[in-house]
Amino acid sequence: MNSLTPTQRDRGLKRLRRLTFGATAGALVAVVGVSYAAAASYPGKSSAGSSSTALNTTTPTTTTTSSGSASSTSSNNLQSTTQAPSTGGSGSGTVTSGGS
Amino acid sequence: MTVAITSWKALGTSVHVLATDSDALGRAVTAVRDVLADVDAAYSRFREDSELSRLNSRAGGAVRVSPLLATAIDAALRAARLTDGAVDPTIGHAIRVAGYDDDFSRIAGPHPALSQRGREMERGPVALRASRVPGWQAIRFDRLSRTVLMPPRVELDLGSTGKALAADLAATAALAAAGAGGVLVSLGGDIATAGQPPAGGWRILVAEDSRAKPDGIGEVICVPAGGVATSSTTVRRWTRGGAVLHHIIDPQTSLPTTGPFRTVTVAAASCLDANIASTAAIVRGEAAIDWLMGCRLPARLVENDGTIHYIGRWPDPAGVAA
Repeated sequence: MNSLTPTQRDRGLKRLRRLTFGATAGALVAVVGVSYAAAASYPGKSSAGSSSTALNTTTPTTTTTSSGSASSTSSNNLQSTTQAPSTGGSGSGTVTSGGS
Repeated sequence: MTVAITSWKALGTSVHVLATDSDALGRAVTAVRDVLADVDAAYSRFREDSELSRLNSRAGGAVRVSPLLATAIDAALRAARLTDGAVDPTIGHAIRVAGYDDDFSRIAGPHPALSQRGREMERGPVALRASRVPGWQAIRFDRLSRTVLMPPRVELDLGSTGKALAADLAATAALAAAGAGGVLVSLGGDIATAGQPPAGGWRILVAEDSRAKPDGIGEVICVPAGGVATSSTTVRRWTRGGAVLHHIIDPQTSLPTTGPFRTVTVAAASCLDANIASTAAIVRGEAAIDWLMGCRLPARLVENDGTIHYIGRWPDPAGVAA
């Protein structure tokens, strides 16, 4: 069995550190590169209300328009009436709700 | 209490404005006319000079839109989100290819005869293929800057939510103009109310066709507030290459829906929400009943064979005959 001198052993350890560092750095660069390529190829789609693109999709809020505002456009649920429809009305001015 | 009413045609459909204060009706009507003129200029799909037509022609680039069109797009995207895409504004191309590419009065004449435009379509080839619409998620919309970015060749159609939103906006504007009392605005059967209702609530005949006379036979409900909307596959129908088509498009196929319900009526806090639910129910088909119950919205669904289902707090049909 060959025995190493202390100088030879130190050189070997230094070479091993350099190889370890190089391999780690290379792997890091590869991970970043592959991630970037994947993100560019498959950007995906935004979910309900957010996006990271330059044009942000924002959570809807009430907007005043030239013709007024519609508060229900801001809700995250379809809003039911506090009072349900009923029967028995006998006033004038009936209108029709139907397809059109 | 006597309710005053004025009616006319706009946006390709009938308009009715009711006011509990007859002296205020004129002001309310003027306000509604102004709103509808704004809506027509902002998001009519049939006007080449509308803002929506210009937006659709510039798909692929970022476009800044007016506050009104921004509100309409916001409402349409919210509808898509809340219905998991059952009501999707990116059906524009699909509905145009299906043949609904003009004011409906120019597509189909008085039933059952077809107009000249309708006869041309009838002779035309059927080139409809099932494919999913681009999808609302493809739309990039910045609320603050009112900027819209659509992928190339995507066309928005705000017809469903747009009309209901217009009814809500018109009712709000009409009440502001009236100053007091209560108003009701009906746009082709999509109904919005604002202010104090007449005693007992606003009387609404529930029918499959909004052209049904309000004093005709049928179910009459009374609503104290909010909106009522009906979606139906029995109206706005046309024939193309021998196939009968209608205007409610299934985003999954880009074709007119073929589900079990032909007409759905929903009451909600606004006409917009009622319309979103009624349209989504037609598109969702068999899953509509569970979905509407989950939304806790009173609804009336008519199957293709005429069977009627009542959902949630819809009034007992035994007591609603007119």
